Amino acid sequence: MTPALDIRNVSRRFGGLLAVDDVSFSVAQGGLSALIGPNGAGKTTLFNCVTNLFPPTAGSVRFFGQPLARLDGHRIAELGLVRTFQTARVFPGMTVLENALCGAQMHVRTSPLAQMFRTPGARSEERRLRDKAEALLDLIGLTPFSDAAATDLPMGAQKNLEVVRALMSRPRMLLLDEPAAGLNDSETADLAALLTAIRDVGITIMVVEHNMSLVMGIADQVIVLDAGKCVAIGAPAAIQSDPKVINAYVGSDG
Amino acid sequence: MSSFIQILIGGLLQGGVFAAVALGFSLVYRVTGVINLSQGAFCVLGAMAMYYFEVAFHWPTALAAVLSVLSVAAFGVAVGAATFVPAVARLPVSSTLVLTAGLLTFFEGVALIVWGNQPYALPPFSGQAPVAVGPLRIPTQGLWLAGGIAAMIAALWLLVNRTALGRALQACADNAMAARLMGIDTRRMMLLSFTLAAAIGATSGLLVAPITSLQFDSGGFFTTSGFIAVAIGGMGSFAGSIVGGLVLGIAEQFAAYYVSSLFANTLALLLLMFMLLWRPQGLFASGPVRRLDVRADSLVHRALVRLSGRRALAVGVTLLIVLVAIPQLPLPNDVLSSLTISLILFIAVLGLDVLMGWTGQVSLGQAGFMAVGGYAAAILSTTYEWPPLAGVLAAMAISVVCALALSMVTGRLRGHYLALATLTFGLLIDSLTVGLVDLTGGPSGLVGIPSFAVGAFEFDTTERMFYLALGLSAVLVLLLEGGMRSQFGRALQAVRSDQLAAAALGVNVGWIKVSALCISAALASLAGSLYAFNFHFLSPEMVATPRSFEMIAMLVLGGEGTLLGGLFGALVLTLLPTLVQSLALYKTATTGALLVATFLFMPEGLFGRFAIWLSRLGGAGRTRSSGAAIETTAQ
Repeated sequence: MTPALDIRNVSRRFGGLLAVDDVSFSVAQGGLSALIGPNGAGKTTLFNCVTNLFPPTAGSVRFFGQPLARLDGHRIAELGLVRTFQTARVFPGMTVLENALCGAQMHVRTSPLAQMFRTPGARSEERRLRDKAEALLDLIGLTPFSDAAATDLPMGAQKNLEVVRALMSRPRMLLLDEPAAGLNDSETADLAALLTAIRDVGITIMVVEHNMSLVMGIADQVIVLDAGKCVAIGAPAAIQSDPKVINAYVGSDG
Repeated sequence: MSSFIQILIGGLLQGGVFAAVALGFSLVYRVTGVINLSQGAFCVLGAMAMYYFEVAFHWPTALAAVLSVLSVAAFGVAVGAATFVPAVARLPVSSTLVLTAGLLTFFEGVALIVWGNQPYALPPFSGQAPVAVGPLRIPTQGLWLAGGIAAMIAALWLLVNRTALGRALQACADNAMAARLMGIDTRRMMLLSFTLAAAIGATSGLLVAPITSLQFDSGGFFTTSGFIAVAIGGMGSFAGSIVGGLVLGIAEQFAAYYVSSLFANTLALLLLMFMLLWRPQGLFASGPVRRLDVRADSLVHRALVRLSGRRALAVGVTLLIVLVAIPQLPLPNDVLSSLTISLILFIAVLGLDVLMGWTGQVSLGQAGFMAVGGYAAAILSTTYEWPPLAGVLAAMAISVVCALALSMVTGRLRGHYLALATLTFGLLIDSLTVGLVDLTGGPSGLVGIPSFAVGAFEFDTTERMFYLALGLSAVLVLLLEGGMRSQFGRALQAVRSDQLAAAALGVNVGWIKVSALCISAALASLAGSLYAFNFHFLSPEMVATPRSFEMIAMLVLGGEGTLLGGLFGALVLTLLPTLVQSLALYKTATTGALLVATFLFMPEGLFGRFAIWLSRLGGAGRTRSSGAAIETTAQ
């Protein structure tokens, strides 16, 4: 089966710094992979390379077999690869519900003109999208705040809203950049349940995460980056006992 | 050959003034990250102060010059501390940019009140007799100008590179946060840069005033020329400002001599368009590269103005009933015709709201599309005797084509450069409406435009035009309200608040911006055509760049992103001078002051404030929680 995401020999250079150094791995369809590593290991840069925010200086990225080179951000999203950001980027000046609805933009079939004239088609589409967004907001407990300004939510809720917004775009694969940052233990447990549920409906997931208990509990593949290089790939249990990984996190004792 | 050198010298002199204005831009831009559009007005204020000290009070030239610069600098401190610095600290960059356009309008209005509308020339510092160098004759004032500007550049260079104060300014430019950590008062540095720029402007103004006579609205000319110079040279680069200013001055002088003085401006603007396409960062690019995955503008926060469908409908219907009834009241005819003009301008402001309020794209060229619409419809219906309705529709199509062409330039531009490109477009249209005499009637305008008509029904009375404008605006508000409350409006807002995050969700940001620009151009064009049919006459200054600034003031005053708000802005700024005739002189200053004050004290605008108040009234449960949210976001 074609992997959902296939990263081959990807490197990214910023001036003299090789932030990502010849990284290769693939994420199986329906899998939940975690990208871990110490600060500055190049995890977010790798995300940025995959979504062409900073195109890779070398190597290739394929999404369900399709090369992503030179595609614009919105074209990549149209293929079904949708990301979130390390600092939650909900849209300021819009309500929680409107933020969620924005995610559905690329599946909207009625034209702006039809929406202006409030044609029956446009109105039923609007109702359908609202129902779906409200159902998803209900799932993460944001219903009471659906008419509040998104930027008034606490950081954890903003990150959850970003996940809902991404889900509204009906992705084939989600890239989540540190979804658990700033969450307390019970919120993290909720997030773990949410991520497993997303995986169970068939959406492939890759997370960048620092929270080991989250990663080890739900991931089926862990990729460890250190100083831009991929130092280990494997199942969570194998990774935990890998000396190279311990070395990367704790430092060598010799 | 000697005429060539003579033109070159003329170009260098004019370019020197542009360079000085551009230096002011760069200085403020480096410290605050904002282009201060009021920069050019300080030239006029400097010359005006000089006129009073030297000509009216008969004080010695040197004393008068020093006092003029000092008094303009003092004025700069006051205005900067009251408006510009607080705005930089709490408004998004695009709003601060528009606020400085308001300052420019305010300064022009002040100069109009003090000076009136006739041009003034100062006596040269050292007599009329020019100096002869070989076959060349150079006016002595040219030497004063060249020497003065060179001295200013040297002094600025010394200040920035050789003093502790200069290093503090540099530190703010490089990293404001780090500068604050090091104990530098960044607000004071912002104020200092603003004041220094005011002094530079005043000095160049009083140096150039004996060569070119100035009038109250010359500030706009200096601002746009300096703006173009800085865009050619590179935003924030001192060397670039000087080179850009000189290049622009020389190009304009040669174009005026070898082509036509009517088109000198056009060629300069084409040069700029070319620069924007070829090298948008300018000849001397400066400034650090920003990380794209971290939001750059932390101040995009905007009050949530949301009326429930039912309340919005109630407001709309009430308003419509009042407006429908108005012509039946015993009102003087000029009030009704003012109301008609307000409604026509409101149509263009609606377009501006879609572009600026909803999509966050600053446009300083909305009047350019009004001009395209007005002239195209007028020419088609007079010279070619098309039915007016066909003329209006054809004009809208032409405007949309212009918008598409413009978006090919702006597609790659962001922030300041986008505002610059739209300003350039507006100025280009200005210079074409003046220059293409055979087509547009030139500066004296186009006469004999018929009344608007649909079939045999002519809109030939004020009352009929009023109802036409009212009907059109009502339909447009209804349509846009539908669009803005649906996915299209949300996509526009997503692009306004975070383009990168929007693109990551599959929003085609380029397409959204082009659509918003086309809608805005089509509505401006419609308004321009109605304007021409309403007056049976169209002249360039009716649809020139100051009109763009006025419409921005209407939009901001009424409330960005509220659609209906623009109507209140248009009514206030159009009706007040009609009702109180004695206010007409103060209109420009008031427009500018209102724009600035709205940004500082009521950023959600008149109608936005009303809508927030209305949505808080009564309501339980969800409405209350949204009210609380509005309260917190509004802060």
